[in-house]
Amino acid sequence: MISKKIICPSCKTQMTVQGNPGEKIYITCPNCQKKGYFILKDHEKESNSVSVEINNLTKIYKDLKAVDNVSFNVLNGEIFGFLGPNGAGKTTTIKAMLGLIHVSSGTIKINGFDMKKDSIEIKKKIGYLPEKVSFYDNLTPVQTLNFFCELKGVDKSIVPKLIKEVGLEDAKNRKAGTFSKGMVQLLGIAQVMIGNPSIYILDEPTVGLDARWVRYVREKIKMLNEHGATVIFSSHILSEVEALCNRVAIINKGKLIAEDTVSNLNKYLHIKPRIEISINGLNGKVPKVIEKIGGVEAASAKGDTLFVTCDSDVRSHIIAVLEESGFKVINIKTIEPSLEDAFVKLIEGDN
Amino acid sequence: MKKFNPKAMYTVAKKEFLDNIRNKWIILLTILFVLIIVVFSYAAGSGETFGDMENTVFGLLGISSILIPLIAIMLGFSTISGEAESGALYVVLSYPVRRVEVLLGKLLGLGSVIIISIIIGFGLGGVVIALTVGPESWVGYIAFIFLSIFLGFIYLSLSICISAFCKRRITSIGGGILVFFWSMIYGTIVMAILFATGGSLEDIMVGNIPDWFYNSVVFSPGDLHQTAVQRAFGVDTIEAMGFSMAIPEFLNSINLIIFHIIWFLIPLVLAYYLFKRRDI
Repeated sequence: MISKKIICPSCKTQMTVQGNPGEKIYITCPNCQKKGYFILKDHEKESNSVSVEINNLTKIYKDLKAVDNVSFNVLNGEIFGFLGPNGAGKTTTIKAMLGLIHVSSGTIKINGFDMKKDSIEIKKKIGYLPEKVSFYDNLTPVQTLNFFCELKGVDKSIVPKLIKEVGLEDAKNRKAGTFSKGMVQLLGIAQVMIGNPSIYILDEPTVGLDARWVRYVREKIKMLNEHGATVIFSSHILSEVEALCNRVAIINKGKLIAEDTVSNLNKYLHIKPRIEISINGLNGKVPKVIEKIGGVEAASAKGDTLFVTCDSDVRSHIIAVLEESGFKVINIKTIEPSLEDAFVKLIEGDN
Repeated sequence: MKKFNPKAMYTVAKKEFLDNIRNKWIILLTILFVLIIVVFSYAAGSGETFGDMENTVFGLLGISSILIPLIAIMLGFSTISGEAESGALYVVLSYPVRRVEVLLGKLLGLGSVIIISIIIGFGLGGVVIALTVGPESWVGYIAFIFLSIFLGFIYLSLSICISAFCKRRITSIGGGILVFFWSMIYGTIVMAILFATGGSLEDIMVGNIPDWFYNSVVFSPGDLHQTAVQRAFGVDTIEAMGFSMAIPEFLNSINLIIFHIIWFLIPLVLAYYLFKRRDI
């Protein structure tokens, strides 16, 4: 019997499930009542709740400190967003997790194995999709995936299924050198699923894909995660990260500047929600009464819409003051702070 | 834990072979190589220029010493730097495979492409020579084929080393060109050293040449290969441009093979060292 912490994909509530490896466990989220099931994987017997453990990771290239004393943990079975502006050290950290670069100092443990000593054991359980993916120009998708199956010691009979799943059936006998960027990305996604890894490291997985395949990738990530896989996910589309990830880490100038859930980040950063109030005849002018209300951080107007950044609890007070002052409120919309707000505030603050 | 996995090496070799045997540039070079060998063999065997297998092979040496290194360099010059730049190597090295297995797999896979090219070229050439001048020195001819394959592996090892050293594909091209031209300019360099140290054209014409002059072929894989082929046909004296030169005792068959092995192994070991230390 093993226990495992999981996070509800709908409301992000953390809960603990218990069962035997391979057993299908039906769960109902105590918070949102969403029902689902979970399968505990064999490898989870050997590990505790931490899947990836990075301690004091530093990587120095000549005179550039690309990663500076970074530490974070990724829990088993979570979707973990790894974010940062261009050149922040994201890819370097990911490469270190895969043993592609030699770290200057620090340790990386994955599923309890040390990357320096047991990289082969670690790589048996990892599926990696790099940001800049490329394959072999003269090989077909079938030959490419056969090659990766052989490298991982996986039965090649799964290849036709993978090709079908990523919609490359019509191109299965074409050389990959003739593929579009999106098709190469789809081949990369098929490659990443070889051997049912327990950890997926996906660097910008939806880049170059059309809307249909972007949706497929997002659904696939959710599905893999529901089946117990840990997903480390990097993307410039912050709404995508927010929709998928349980927790995020933000890196800037090689240093980790935040690691938490999106809602906790917003609370911690005191990021206030924004209210959009439609008012008849506003004509782009901010009413003076608004500025006198305590808890209002900023206010602006465009046309008949008033934008107010304020504490949630003063929302009703604002409406009351506006109506008392003779403004006719037509519609009110509250926009909760997003990951993008937290990201921008953190990066700007750090810079 | 750190056990070498020959299966992973074989898998990489198979992939390299499949990918490169369809490379249009390699196909073109191989066709050119085969055509030149066959046409030359026919012309040399049936004409009055060479007249026998030994001299026909010495004629072929000039062609093979250019085309085999060219094919090998084209196969190997970007096998690491190019794949690291494109991102293909990121994916491969995220799989449970060691860098030494990838390196040796590449060597074997690309080497197989060279072997196929040489066997087709010299195989057909050999048939033509046998039909036109007779198969009297077939042992020497087989040795010539083996030495040509060895030459291909030497240049492959050198080009993989360049590829492991260079960060980018474009710089690997420069390294490949340098390696390719080394054997061509080497003779001029050695000649310049000879003249600078008191030697003269007259000395050469009368065969008064210091042993170091000839022995220095060990620093040029192309010249080393040509000397080894001459030895394989039992030649002790080279006659060229109106003067004759005895091949020094030092350059006996065993030493020549040892220097072939050195030329193959040193770049390969260096390539492994560079690749192992490389940040991908």
